[in-house]
Amino acid sequence: MADDKDVLRDVWFGRIPTCFTLNQDEVTEREAEPYYLLLPRVSYLTLVTDKVKKHFLKVMKAEDVEEMWFEYEGTPLKWHYPIGVLFDLHASNTVLPWSITVHFKNFPDRDLLHCPSSSIVEAHFMSSIKEADALKHKSQVVNDMQKKDHKQLWMGLQNDKFDQFWAMNRKLMEYSTEDGGFRYIPFRIYQTMSDRPFIQKLFRPVSPDGNVHTLGDLLKEMDPTALPNDGEPKRYQVVIHGIEPLLETPLQWLSEHLSHPDNFLHICIIPTPTD
Amino acid sequence: QSMSLSVTPAQTAAWRKQIFEQLSERTKREIDNFRHFEQAIEQSVWVKKGTM
Repeated sequence: MADDKDVLRDVWFGRIPTCFTLNQDEVTEREAEPYYLLLPRVSYLTLVTDKVKKHFLKVMKAEDVEEMWFEYEGTPLKWHYPIGVLFDLHASNTVLPWSITVHFKNFPDRDLLHCPSSSIVEAHFMSSIKEADALKHKSQVVNDMQKKDHKQLWMGLQNDKFDQFWAMNRKLMEYSTEDGGFRYIPFRIYQTMSDRPFIQKLFRPVSPDGNVHTLGDLLKEMDPTALPNDGEPKRYQVVIHGIEPLLETPLQWLSEHLSHPDNFLHICIIPTPTD
Repeated sequence: QSMSLSVTPAQTAAWRKQIFEQLSERTKREIDNFRHFEQAIEQSVWVKKGTM
């Protein structure tokens, strides 16, 4: 049987084949061809789309270009969510490649954060890692790291260097055997049918009486409607990195193996397709 | 370090097996037919170039 470490590689090297098309209302000097890319699931849209921007700028006048942003079927895509989360949440069960529309005007300030440079992505990423470590280890691990160690995590993500990233990230995944896991599990639960952006609360990997908490235990407490009722068809899919782990999967294991590089376990609850 | 899980080996095998199988299916679905697509992040390779 495959090793658990293989899961880390599968998670890191997950890709979404994507077709970028220029919004038809943009002013161009000639027709813009679509642009095809394999996007890393664990990265961020504004970090990996330099080529897309360059491609479309070739057919546009500089004065018609404002900040680039992305939309899928009318929904502006939040760059500060990992790409895989955006795909699982909005486009699961659709035909690939994922079709994203590129805009250069009418930035939707109410829906999206501005992202003028990769240093904004870096700040967001590092703040998520720090928040996750506050939950897992009372910030002890991240505070013991040096500036260059923080840079190593960031550069690993930015340059798609699995070994560079994990040489440092493994420290953020440690815990003592007597604790049986992290202090709290850093997780976020996203639902398309909810107005709130996501659910994030304190939840421990082990119950006070020593039982291992599972994915099902977490959902029962945070979002019971996501769970199937006995004898009824499944209404929702619980998706992490494009797969549906069994509800019996221990949460601590999920946190160690299926967290994003930002050290959060991002869980998407989406309606089961009806066809 | 690893924790000892208070579940039976059979249960452990089921959830772990499910994850491995689904990740493999995901690769087939999302990557295998699209390997000709360009990667968003180029893996930097040192290329020795020079005119001297």
